[in-house]
Amino acid sequence: MSRQPLRPPGAVAEAEFLGRCIRCGKCALACPYRAIRIAGLLDGLAIMGTPVVQARESPCYLCLKCVSACPSGALDSRVKKREQVRMGTARINKKECLTWQGTFCRSCYDHCPLFNEAITMDSELRPVVNEKKCVGCGICEHVCPADPAAITVIPGGAG
Amino acid sequence: MKITPIRRTVQILSLAAMGAVPLLNSRGLTAVSGSFYSVSIGPLMLTDPLIAIQSLLATLRFDTVLLASALIPAGLALVLGRVFCGWVCPQNTLSELFDAAGRRLGISRFFAPAPAPLARYAVLAVILAATLLFGFPLASLLSAPGIISVQTARFIYEGTVGLELALIGVILLAELFLVRRVWCNHLCPVGSTLGLFRSKRTLRVVMVEEGKHACIHCRECVKACQLGLNPMAGEVAPQCHNCGACIDVCRKITGERRPLSFRLCRRD
Repeated sequence: MSRQPLRPPGAVAEAEFLGRCIRCGKCALACPYRAIRIAGLLDGLAIMGTPVVQARESPCYLCLKCVSACPSGALDSRVKKREQVRMGTARINKKECLTWQGTFCRSCYDHCPLFNEAITMDSELRPVVNEKKCVGCGICEHVCPADPAAITVIPGGAG
Repeated sequence: MKITPIRRTVQILSLAAMGAVPLLNSRGLTAVSGSFYSVSIGPLMLTDPLIAIQSLLATLRFDTVLLASALIPAGLALVLGRVFCGWVCPQNTLSELFDAAGRRLGISRFFAPAPAPLARYAVLAVILAATLLFGFPLASLLSAPGIISVQTARFIYEGTVGLELALIGVILLAELFLVRRVWCNHLCPVGSTLGLFRSKRTLRVVMVEEGKHACIHCRECVKACQLGLNPMAGEVAPQCHNCGACIDVCRKITGERRPLSFRLCRRD
């Protein structure tokens, strides 16, 4: 993992997160979807033991149980509503997206938990990400039928 | 009453809990959750004092809840001594097991340093200084009980374990071939921190030679101590884990007259 990994919801900015997270694993234990994995030594010494979300395999369903389980403030307990979450931002690869390439598909649009807000349809019924609303949960990346996924979450931001 | 059978029971229950908590959590029963870094029991949170101090140093942020959650473990150490190490910690349990196996196999170590309480505090000071300097939670990566418990949870949740378990392997091999019980006795920052919470009244092993309680200088207590301490010499803290092995062997030899016992008292 060379770039910043996707963190659970409520995570503070990455540099601060690495200092605050005590690597206790409570968030992973709290996740009912087993979406939070514990990074290992092979992922890098700095992130070893920290929680990561691999959205393609198992995205975040924004129940926010991990946020209330976190004892260290690495996941900010002020994040109480899913609209406040900022795990990252989804980005569509238009060259791979079925709809953008002419085959009708609306998997990402239909499954987005912020329905018709974070992903909207343009006038030609093609999905468009609204970066101001997208929380980065990765459900779109998980359900995308293209292989590899034509919509992926770029980790970043705080919250 | 012998202490060792009770202690073994607590050790086995601790190991069982370490597996049971993630198993129950994975089925949605989350009343008890966490690891040896920090555990939540209902609304009550208990955090390893080292981890709480580390967070303060790494973030320079006074987190009242996190620091308060270290009070009960610190208080336990203050009253009962380092019983976490001797009775609960999975690393100590593993180390004891390997030490017993090593003894049976007749393995001899390369080095036999004398107990040096100051050296372990120097190690702790270096770890905490680096934590402050780099703003990075280094102690979490060096907490053997934390690593073992989180990796147990990871195995249950993900069916895999991380390479950080190699640290545990290195500790066990070093203890088997280089220095007997080197991690628990000389290096472990978790134990060193617990050892800081100590008063004149903290529970400890004391030799009382009054009336019929006479020491016969058989040195069996010295042989029984895996940490290489001499209970007859008096002050075995802060190295002693209060495991009670010396008291058990003392009673075995001297019967009810045993001069060694646990005391919650001021020692002159």
